[in-house]
Formats: sequence, structure tokens, C-alpha cells
Amino acid sequence: MLIGIDVGGTFTDGVLFDGQAVVTSVKHPTDKQNLKTTLLKVLDDLLTVSTGGGISRIVFSTTLVTNLLATESGDNTALLLLPGPGLPLDTYHLFEHTFFLKGSIDFRGRELEAIDKTEVEKAVGAIKGRGIKKIAVVGKFSNRNSSQEQEVRKIIMKRDPQMEVAIGCETAGQLNFLRRIVTTYYSVMTQSAWEDFAREIEKALAERGIQTAVDVLKADGGTMPLQISRSKPCETVFSGPAASTMGAIALTMNPKNSVVLDIGGTTVDISLLIDGHPLYASKGATIQGHYTHINAFSVRSIPLGGDSPINIDQGNIHVESKRRGAAACFGGDYPTVTDVFNQKYQLGIGQPLKSTKKLTKLIKDTGIDMETLCKAVEDIVFNRIQEAIQKMFTEWENEPAYRVWEVVHGRKFNVQEIIGIGAASKAIVPGLAQRMQIKCRIPEYAAVANALGACVARPTLALKVHIDTQNKVFSIDQDGLSGSISAGRSFQMKDAKELAQHHLMEIAKSRGMEQYAGEAEFYLEEQFNVIRGWETAGKIFDIGVQISPGFIKEYQGVSR
Amino acid sequence: MKPTGLIFFPAFDWAISPTHPEREERLLYTRDQIFEEGIMDLPQIREYKPRMAEKKDIARVHFCVPDVDAQITEAHLVSAGSSLVIADAVMQGEVKNGFALVRPPGHHAMTVAHGNRGFCNINNEAIMVEYLRKKYGLRKIAIVDTDVHHGDGTQEIFWHDPDILFISFHQDGRTLYPGTGFIEELGGPLAHGSTINIPLPPRTTDMGIHYVLDNLVLPILDEFKPELIVNSAGQDNHYSDPLANMCFSAQGYAILNSKLAPDIAVLEGGYSVETALPYVNMGIIMAMAGIDYSNLREPDYSPTRFKESPGNMEYIKKLVATQLANFRQREEVISRNRKEYKRMYTNYKSIFYDTDGIHEEQSTQLRMCEHCAGYRIIESSAQHPRWGLNRVFCLSVPTYGCPECQKEAERLYEDMTSSRSKYNYVYLQDKVKDVYKSMESALSLETVL
Repeated sequence: MLIGIDVGGTFTDGVLFDGQAVVTSVKHPTDKQNLKTTLLKVLDDLLTVSTGGGISRIVFSTTLVTNLLATESGDNTALLLLPGPGLPLDTYHLFEHTFFLKGSIDFRGRELEAIDKTEVEKAVGAIKGRGIKKIAVVGKFSNRNSSQEQEVRKIIMKRDPQMEVAIGCETAGQLNFLRRIVTTYYSVMTQSAWEDFAREIEKALAERGIQTAVDVLKADGGTMPLQISRSKPCETVFSGPAASTMGAIALTMNPKNSVVLDIGGTTVDISLLIDGHPLYASKGATIQGHYTHINAFSVRSIPLGGDSPINIDQGNIHVESKRRGAAACFGGDYPTVTDVFNQKYQLGIGQPLKSTKKLTKLIKDTGIDMETLCKAVEDIVFNRIQEAIQKMFTEWENEPAYRVWEVVHGRKFNVQEIIGIGAASKAIVPGLAQRMQIKCRIPEYAAVANALGACVARPTLALKVHIDTQNKVFSIDQDGLSGSISAGRSFQMKDAKELAQHHLMEIAKSRGMEQYAGEAEFYLEEQFNVIRGWETAGKIFDIGVQISPGFIKEYQGVSR
Repeated sequence: MKPTGLIFFPAFDWAISPTHPEREERLLYTRDQIFEEGIMDLPQIREYKPRMAEKKDIARVHFCVPDVDAQITEAHLVSAGSSLVIADAVMQGEVKNGFALVRPPGHHAMTVAHGNRGFCNINNEAIMVEYLRKKYGLRKIAIVDTDVHHGDGTQEIFWHDPDILFISFHQDGRTLYPGTGFIEELGGPLAHGSTINIPLPPRTTDMGIHYVLDNLVLPILDEFKPELIVNSAGQDNHYSDPLANMCFSAQGYAILNSKLAPDIAVLEGGYSVETALPYVNMGIIMAMAGIDYSNLREPDYSPTRFKESPGNMEYIKKLVATQLANFRQREEVISRNRKEYKRMYTNYKSIFYDTDGIHEEQSTQLRMCEHCAGYRIIESSAQHPRWGLNRVFCLSVPTYGCPECQKEAERLYEDMTSSRSKYNYVYLQDKVKDVYKSMESALSLETVL
């Protein structure tokens, strides 16, 4: 038996899955003040049904870190930055307690300027003076040479062993100093809250006699062990939309080029599948307006859903974005988008008579008849969703390209179907698909696709290896790994790929996911001849290898 | 404030040959630097996707022998097309200015293109300028070529065009490829003074170049009043460039772009891939976007490292005074030329294609038109190492050409193509109609773009 739980902003969904069918599903309103209680309530409900069957896997996704960041309620954190020459320093002054230090590395990992020990110590003193106990140390090009970040950490720890320190290269090793600063800062800031949460969950599970390993869903649609997540809290942001998209794939199995519409009470979340693979946000997850190095699905949210109230103001028909309660057919006071579709297409949702009654009351004395109202609301809803979908297509098609091949072959999103999930998709998606002249699918269990998606998602791991054979070094964008290579000029693409594959295996092992290492694929194979004075002095390789989002081996689709 | 448009197109899958300066590695470290800085994440920058130029965009400038396809690779179309994307973004007001940070380069490519010379096949700036005129009706445009090599291709293309001001400062042609760009090269008889060359002595520093900028380039621009300024932004004046001998710095380049304030910059040469390009490119982007660049410097740079010698400064000052006078006398000289030359003005030259090893002999006849810049007849023969001898006859009607010139050129094309001729190909480039014809004589096969 598998358990998947998605702690969302409004509701928490859980499913109990026996490998072929959803045994039961649970839904509770989320207690925003106490996510743990809600999570455990859903878990207990599921466990009650599962008596007798052993639980082999528990996966949850949660908005804990997302909430901490949105409300800026993480721990006070200081930033020690080593920016070196380049953009003006104020570009990097994004957060309050920012200190700039001497020290600089270039793109080949050469030290350009040494750090100044006294200056570091002075900064630590000032940070302590402000009552701050957490520091993020981030250097420009620390992903090519982490020695200065390491050194600064050493100096801090020597001066104050109580300080919690994280360094950029271990948190976010991809190119982009700005995003590395943000990612490292937010990681440090949310780490202890997340650790507390993880500890409490582990304790609660132990109390229930559950020995099963617990996994957490990440923004990239993959899972990681709860234990590993302790040092990577930020990777759990936006795992809700990721759960939904993974659920849509899980429920439809082998979708091609699709639009996934997750239509809930107050929002429509749109994501795209290209050849069955979820599309990633090209600039990483955006948190509080900042780009990050967190790999996340590209999701566009529009404030419109089944519970969006309908209003008539001086003869103008409006769809409002602020929820005023459930749809009339579910006992709400105001007629909503769901009621309109219920009325127009005789969908028989909830108590259809209540939809009719509230809508009739709304148009009374306005001179607008029912048909006009329904048509107008439908147009508003469809237009807004269609516009958003079109924007996503256009943005994807217009992503920058750096190779001739990419430009020559262009990009065109040929959508084949719409997959509707979420509670209100049944009402809205069929009509929209008809208008767009595209097939649509609203799978069974569409309402709990998020929890199911979490439950069957497999672990993911992506790493990029940068190899410089002239300098005989390599660095990896995960965990600050780096090392040297012995072969110089004889080092070829084959060797580069082997090196990447080897390290993927090692990291997979350390995260308890080696059984998926065989699924890894190369997504980037670049090599450059380093020519100095008409002679080849070496090669530079950038190799990307990943275990992409997918499903655990035992999952073969929902068959019953 | 509107952002600065940027296309970064390093063509990571294209090279002239594996060890050639124009190879995949050229913009690798620039990629590292601009990606690591995170400059594309800033609201001051808007990144665009490259596109391919149309064949017609190229035929508007070049007579490609035998045809456009033979002279280009897809990389050339993308590089030229990227400049057009930036041009559109600027003209449509999406951005305040734009930089096409692209390769392969183009400023050595001339009107007739038999092959690659100076790493260039087709001229990105010229293609963009003619596109801007055709699509947006612009007329007066200034091109300031800041590459260390004389922009001989761009100069040749606009030699007879009084509405295009071409200014090039570069290392003296007596000491560097392509060996041209002297002060006497001032433009054709009807476009005298709209070509201005500033051949600088080797080892000229920031100080010398900025003297030229402040006392010649900017005043000339002020007087010419172009509707648009293009920077043909080569980066090989840098002190670390392996193919040249100048002493310009990243700061120098950034300040230059602040002062010049080009509407569009297009990357040209620059082969110091590690020690110059990452910093110079950052400097140009920052200057165009109005970002403070005082914290930008090369690792080995110090403000006191290079000093302009008094002798050099004297030389540069004289140069500037001469060229300023030449520019200001341009109308006078043009009216004198009109009297002096007869109906047709003729000029002969030979051109060497260093990259492809081609020798070309060319004659140009210009109609001394009273109403427009005059149509041109170019007869060219070139010995190509693989294709053998090609003789071509080309007719070009300028963008703002008069009906008479247009008609006469058309009639000549009809004459040349209706009977057997000694030319392998006959071309008509009618920029007024925006129609580009070519006739392969042996097969009587006409192509129209």
C-alpha cells in the first residue's frame, strides 16, 4: 500500500493506493497554523482504512517552506558575499543583512583576489552583534572553485562554532550568482523550521509504529528522502503544482503534447507536457519575485476557479476572483462559475436546482436573460484560460537559443489534448476543449490527482558536470562536489560522460535511490576545444545527466 | 525606463575550422560571465530569441555568387537574423536600444560576395540597415565601426550612399589586416565625406580613442543628424587581443558606448576570448542598459597600465582635425564632382579573400544622377579555388533611387539577359521595388527573390 498526501493552501488531499486502484481518498481543510496536525489527520484517516495492509511508501508534499518564504517568517539570516568585479554591488544587495567581502574567482576557477581573514572576522562580529545566528556565504564563480567559500566558512566556525553556515556551491552550483545568492539565503533561512517539521513527522510516524521510509515531493516533480530534504528545504517549494502535474501524467499514462489544467475552487493552474515530459520554468522557481536555482515546473496560475463568484454590476457581467464560499449547488450563498456551467450544460453537479435558483435571482430586474448570462460567463472563463495557455506556448516557443540547430529547427507547440484535473475541471474543461477543437481527458480520480501524483512519483536527480582538461579539474553543480582528472589531452567525450555517470551513481547511492540510476539520461553534451596560439591546449566539457520525473517501478497505471 | 534588448547567440555548434579564431570557444567565457553575473535576470535587460534572416534580406545587400545559398551556412542566417530581431525590437519601441551579441561576424563582407574574407561572408550591419530602410522607411543612418580592423566591407557597401555615414576607427592599415581605411578614403563622388576613416597608430590607449570620439565622432554625428546609430562593435582594440596591437580596455569600451549611445550594437571581431571578451561584452551591455560599470574591470587591469605617448597624441589630434575638415567640406566636393565627372564614373579594383584564397577583379560604374545616388554597374570576375572562374554582371538601384535610374538598370538587365553574354551570371538588385533577380546564363535560368 502506498500513501500520498498533498498539503495544499486550502485543502489537504490524501490517497491510499494499492498499486492498481485508489483504495480511499481523504480531504480536509488545511489548518494553516498547524500543517503537521492536518497532515497527520489525513494520514490517520488513511491508516484506518488500510488496517491489515502494510504501508510500503509514504510521500507528502507541503506548502510549509512556501508559506515561510511568502510571509518572510524564516530565521534572521545574514549574507556574506564575494562578488569580485562585474555588476555593481547594489545588484546583489537583495536582503537586509548583506556584507561584501574581498575575494574573487574567475570563470576558469582561477583565484583573482584572495580573501581577507580579518575582514571576515569583523563581519562575523557585526552579524553576531545583530543577534543573527545564520549565515549564507556565496561567491561569484564559487561553482568553478569553492575554496574561498570553504575558507570563509572555516573562519566563521572557528570564531563562532554556534553559527549555522551554508555555502553557495553546496546549495546551488549552477551558473548564476544572483540566483545562487537567493537560493542559498532562502535555504539557510528555512532550514531549522523545516528540520523541526521533519523531526515531528518522523516522531509521529514512529508513534504509529510505521517504519516505512518517508519521501518528500520536490518542485521538479521528483521525490527525495525526508532525511536528505533536511539540508535542501527550498526544493520543496511549489511541490503542490508539481504533484498535480505528476498526477495528471500518472492518470493518463503516456500523454504527448498536452495542456494540464488543474481547476480548483479559486485558481486554474496550467502546466505543459511536451512529448509527455513536464515543462520546466526556464529561470527556476520564482520566490518573492526572485529567480532561483530551484528546478520547478513552469506553472501559470490565474485567479479563477469553480468557486469564483458571478456578479452583475450596472448591466455588466463580472467573474470575481475572491472566493465567497462554495458554489450554490453545494450550498453556497453566491452563484459561481460552477453554477453557470451546471445550468448551461445540465451537468447535475451537487443540487442543480440551487444553481438555477441563485442564478435566476442574480439576473432578476437586470434585463439579462439566463442564456445571455451563461454565454457571457463562459466566454470570460474560456477567454482567460485560453489567453494564458497561448502565452505559455508563445513564451516556450520564444525561449532563447544558443545553437544554430535550435534556431533552424524552431519550436512550435502542437497541442494534442487537454487533461483536466481538480474538482472543477469536470464543469469547465469539456466546453473549453470543444471551443479549442482539441481532445480532452478528465480521468477518474481527477479530484485527487495531486495526492496520487505524489504517491507514485519516483526520485529525481539532475547534475551538470563542468570539466576543464587544460586545468585538469572538474566541478559538479550538486553538493559542491569537485575534483581533479588525471588524463589531459586524451580525455574525450566518452570519458566525460563516464565521469558524469559515475558521480550520478555515487550521489544516487548516498540518497538511497540507486535503483533509479539506470534510468539516467544525458540531456547536455557540450565540448569546446581550448585553443591557445593555434594549438589545442585542452577541452572544456559541460555534461548534463539526469533521472527525470517519472514513476516508481511498481506503478503501471490505475487499472481499477 | 525601457529595457535594453539582447540577443546572445554564441553559435556553439559552428566554426570556420576547429582551431580558427572564429570557433565555438569564442563566446564560451562570455557565456560564463554574463550567465554567472545574472545580468539577463535584471529588469534592465530583455533577452530575445534569434531567428534566421530571409534570403531576400541578404540579396538586398549582396550579389552572392552564384547564389545566396552558396555563400552562407545556417549560422550566417541566424547571425544576420538576430540583428533584424534587435532592429525590430528597437523600432517597435519594445526596448530603448539593443545589442546583437552574435557570431559569425560580417563587417569585411562586400557587395559582391565570392567567398569568405576576414572571417566574414555576409555583412550583418548592412543587411540590417537596408532592412530598416525598407521596413521602417529610415533614410539617414550612421554606422560607427569600433573594431580594430578597418570595416572595409561596410565601407564598400555604402561607399556611394550619401545617407549612410560610415565612421571607422582602427589600427592603421599599414600594420594590420585588411590594409585599408586611410584618411583619403572618403566615399564615392556623390557620397564624399560620408565615409570617415581614423587609422590609429598601434598601441593607442583609452585616452587616444576617447579623444577621437569626443572631438571627431560625436561632433560629426551631431552635424549629420542620423535617424539611427549603429555600433559595429568589434572588441579587438583590447590590449590583450592576439590579432592586433592596441591598448583599449573594457572600461574604455563601456564609456565609449555610454557616450556614443548607439541604438543598436552588433558584435564584430574580438579574439581575446578569455581576457577581453567576457569583460568587454559585459561593459557594452551595462553601458547600453544604463547600469553602473565602475566595478567592471579585467583581472590584470590597472588604470595606470597604459599611457598615451605625447607623440601619439599629437598625431591623433592632427588626424582628427583633418577628418573634421574633410567631413565639413563634403557638400562642396560633391558639387564639384558633379561638374567634373561625365555621365558615368568608373572605378577599378582588385580584392583578395584571405580566408578562401580568392582573387577578384572588379569595375564599378556609377551613374552621376542628379536626382539620386545613382545606379551602379559592377562587373566582377573571380578565380575561386574550387569553382574556377566566375564572371558576373551586377546592377544595383539604390533604396532611394529615382525612376530614371530604375528604368535604365532594368533595361540593361533585359539587354544583358536576352542575348548570350560572357558573364556566367547577371544580377539586378532593385532596392526601390525590393525585387532581386539573377540569371544563370548557361541555363537561361532566372531566379527572383
